Amino acid sequence: MRKKSLLIIGLLATLAVVATLVLALPADAGKLEEAIAKTPQGVGKGMIDPSAPKGFMGIPGAPKSFFLFYILWGAWVGWIFSSVGAFGGIMAGVGHITVFGLADYGRTFKDTNPTLNKLLTDSIRVCNQYLVALSALISSVTYYRMGRLVLPLGLCLAGGGIAGAYLIPVLTAGKITLRAYIGYFGLVVFAVAYVLFYETTAKGQEKRKAARAASKAFEEAHIKKKAAPAEAAKPAAVASGVRVTHWGLTKIAFTFYGVEFSFNPLWPVLGGFVIAAISAFIGVGGGFLYVPFLTSVAGLPMFIVAGTSALAVLVSMITSIFTFMFVKSVPVDFILIGTELVGIAIGSVLGPMTSKYIPEVWLKRLFVVLAVYVGIGYVTKGFLGYSVMPGM
Amino acid sequence: MHPIYRLLDPFLIWFYRLTGHTLADFLIGTLVLAFLALIIGEVTISLAFLVTKKRIDQVTAEADRYQNLSMEALKAGDKQAYKAANKLANDAFGKSFFMQIALSAAFLWPVFFALIWMEYRFSGLEFPLPFTNYSLGYVGVFILLYAASYLLFKRVKYKLPYFRRIKAILDTCTNQKFHQSLKLRETNNGT
Repeated sequence: MRKKSLLIIGLLATLAVVATLVLALPADAGKLEEAIAKTPQGVGKGMIDPSAPKGFMGIPGAPKSFFLFYILWGAWVGWIFSSVGAFGGIMAGVGHITVFGLADYGRTFKDTNPTLNKLLTDSIRVCNQYLVALSALISSVTYYRMGRLVLPLGLCLAGGGIAGAYLIPVLTAGKITLRAYIGYFGLVVFAVAYVLFYETTAKGQEKRKAARAASKAFEEAHIKKKAAPAEAAKPAAVASGVRVTHWGLTKIAFTFYGVEFSFNPLWPVLGGFVIAAISAFIGVGGGFLYVPFLTSVAGLPMFIVAGTSALAVLVSMITSIFTFMFVKSVPVDFILIGTELVGIAIGSVLGPMTSKYIPEVWLKRLFVVLAVYVGIGYVTKGFLGYSVMPGM
Repeated sequence: MHPIYRLLDPFLIWFYRLTGHTLADFLIGTLVLAFLALIIGEVTISLAFLVTKKRIDQVTAEADRYQNLSMEALKAGDKQAYKAANKLANDAFGKSFFMQIALSAAFLWPVFFALIWMEYRFSGLEFPLPFTNYSLGYVGVFILLYAASYLLFKRVKYKLPYFRRIKAILDTCTNQKFHQSLKLRETNNGT
């Protein structure tokens, strides 16, 4: 089964890479230089002063913060990742868009050089996306190690994911203005705020308490009575329990531990497409969203969903890496990303230290407030042209 | 070039001038750079792991516990317990996952600093791919050689004293917890 899975992964990855190379337009490595050359020279708004020190993306006069600020912001992002989780990606985006002034700088070129405006939008998206790439890398390694695979489910996810990861950059690269991107980013921030908010409400917490109580009751009734210590210490059985019993265009069924599960293949294809599209367009989300999507929407056991997601994530990650290596349509600021990663590493160590002193629910409440503030600021800035929130 | 890179440049470029053959020198130099980035990343992540191991083990143990519980509930035919345990496994897994993302930064940060130096030195370099309009730049070569370095280093990692020592410390912590939890189960079962 493992050899068959590896073969299918290899075939899918090859197909994805070939599709990328055949269908995507080869990038002009001098795209940024060309755009800079076409921008009016001067010190006014929307102009480039060639004698100014180089900043973001090596553009003369572009914002460039002291490297320690990148590290500090990265530490904030890393701290959020290791304390609460999802909101870290949003904060990384906020840093790129607002804190380091990249979006406001890009917007100045809206009238003087729209190409540069859109190129800067894409560069900011790519800077956000490196965290998605990290998420994909971790997903691939972690999930695949679990080794539990439902092949048809993985194929559907992978198919949808490749379509989303490929189509969105092709359809939107160089076409999205910074203003529009900020507006859509704000909408995603609202969605995250809603999820975080629900988890802090009495209803959300009650559901979690009830789940804990039900699990504990089952554990006490069944596990502790029958299991000897040596038996209890053994890891659970691997995916040899997965048996696909039916393949069809509208229904795929499999059994696991004698229980039958079925799903409409359209759902994982659509889900894979939407998740990959959001990751590619906004720069947040990624591999980690497949698991909650499949466990919540399809009701599948996390035990096998996590391993299955590896197929989709691995293939789309290979596609992205090849796109980045060979198509190279968007330049990347390595200094910004490198220094942020140092900060994220520091934050990742601080998070576990502080988590014992700060209750998770209060952290989530803080992030809900931040998310609403950022969401309102970005949505109004994006769709009205100005932010109603100060500092955004 | 940034002052720090101006300081490092003579040492790094030395590896690119070993044989006198351009392509071979580029590949050797980039391979050495990739290895350096890998080793530095391995050291920093090992230190990060030492500091955060307790929390990682906690969230991983919670995810494992509920995951196994959901499987037991499935076998026993208890749908309510299965859904409850599955949801909690999902939540715990999410926490563990994001921690790993943050920690992976401790492994990957040297890669970008290596690429910054390469951008100063090799930004115009392209290797055209035969029969296509595409080419491989310095980033692509670095990624390929970094992946190769990673696979090679994996085989010899625990033969190096530092990493062997770190592994022993991490394994000791894990075993202590395992025996503690075993003792707790024995006490609960009255044996």
